[in-house]
Amino acid sequence: MSYPVLELKSLIKSFPQRELLRGVDFALEAGGSYVLTGDNGCGKTTLLRIVAGLEAADGGMLRFKGAAIDLGHYPEALRRELVYVHQQPYLFNTGIAHNIAYGLKMRGVPKRRRELLVEEAIAWAGVGHLGSVLPHKLSGGEKQRVALARAKVLNPGLLLLDEPTANLDNDARRQTLALIEALRHEDVTVMIASHDREIIAMPHVERLHLEAGRVRAL
Amino acid sequence: MELLEPTREAFRLLFTGDAELWRIIFISLSCSLAALLLIGPPSVALGFLIAKVAFPGRRALVVLVQALLSFPTVVVGLVIYMLLSRQGPLGFLKLLFTPEAMIIGYMVIALPVLVVFTLSAVQGADPRVYETARSLGAGKYRAAVTTLFEVRFGVMAALFNGFGRVVSEVGCSIMVGGNIAGLTRNIPTAIALETSKGEFAQGIALGFVLIVLALGVNVALSVLQGEGGMK
Repeated sequence: MSYPVLELKSLIKSFPQRELLRGVDFALEAGGSYVLTGDNGCGKTTLLRIVAGLEAADGGMLRFKGAAIDLGHYPEALRRELVYVHQQPYLFNTGIAHNIAYGLKMRGVPKRRRELLVEEAIAWAGVGHLGSVLPHKLSGGEKQRVALARAKVLNPGLLLLDEPTANLDNDARRQTLALIEALRHEDVTVMIASHDREIIAMPHVERLHLEAGRVRAL
Repeated sequence: MELLEPTREAFRLLFTGDAELWRIIFISLSCSLAALLLIGPPSVALGFLIAKVAFPGRRALVVLVQALLSFPTVVVGLVIYMLLSRQGPLGFLKLLFTPEAMIIGYMVIALPVLVVFTLSAVQGADPRVYETARSLGAGKYRAAVTTLFEVRFGVMAALFNGFGRVVSEVGCSIMVGGNIAGLTRNIPTAIALETSKGEFAQGIALGFVLIVLALGVNVALSVLQGEGGMK
């Protein structure tokens, strides 16, 4: 049975000369895939960052798996449930396996188990051939795939993807789309901020639109 | 001035393991490294905090730390001398003219170098580093460590520059160390003393060691950076 993973009520956020979010309300069901559309600069990234605890909201209520979250004191435990992936993901300047293992390490997953999960994630993302290539030498698409593997391996309660296919060439975009599609089978709740028509048109994806500071379902 | 003979004598002293000469080198290295070990972690942490945390007076603190960079080391020595002298507030510690006093002086001298270099390295870091670490479940402290690791070459440059500054420092060493043979006589104070006596051989040998140290530190930094540091 499906249940709401995330519920937002009356979320507001202003910047000095602009009221960006004016009372955002929506709920995400467990295992669902959602795409958040809206014009450039309408607040999609800000909304995702607030949900991920990377930015503070001015007011509103957030519930995660039924529990009310004080947005003024974002709980550390919630950071282990939500993963946010930047539009241009940052990979630590170490190695691909180390990048994918990072979040597992933060969660205290034992080394052997970690190695196994990293291996599976590398195979899932199809980045095994990259071996020990340093992250700064990877293409945008390869970085995106490693970042998706790094997020997916944590089996997050909610995965927040910010424009995952922006600035990618056709091949890279197709590979990234295939991974996003594959996430559906992993039972991961995903929220994607995107303009990509192909993501918006995915049959299983529910569409939310941010306009004039409010979110409505399409 | 005859240069060849003192130079030949300098290398003889170096390569025959002259006890006095190597004792001076040991004092220099041990005091410099001890100071860096003690002041390195808090300075790096302070540099990180100034770079990342907004607080009232941050700008003034940055200006102060930057100003301390150009603070004459002899004045640092004078202040510490006054604090540690018998009539000073810390005179009861009886640290004046000891290696410990020199280490305290070196810590004060190295602090602004370490803070400013770390601050600059962290400010230059991609803001996504810290956010990515946090988003992947790292706590604040762990995310800070991850950020510092990402700018590790900048932090290493801070440490190496701090070392370079204290190992070649004269004013403070003489003021608080007293240039006591076998106890607080280090490379720069020995060079100053021997040169003033017209004894150039030991000065040349020690100067050579300082140059090798300076070059070695830079070569080590460059090797450590390797490919990882060249984006």
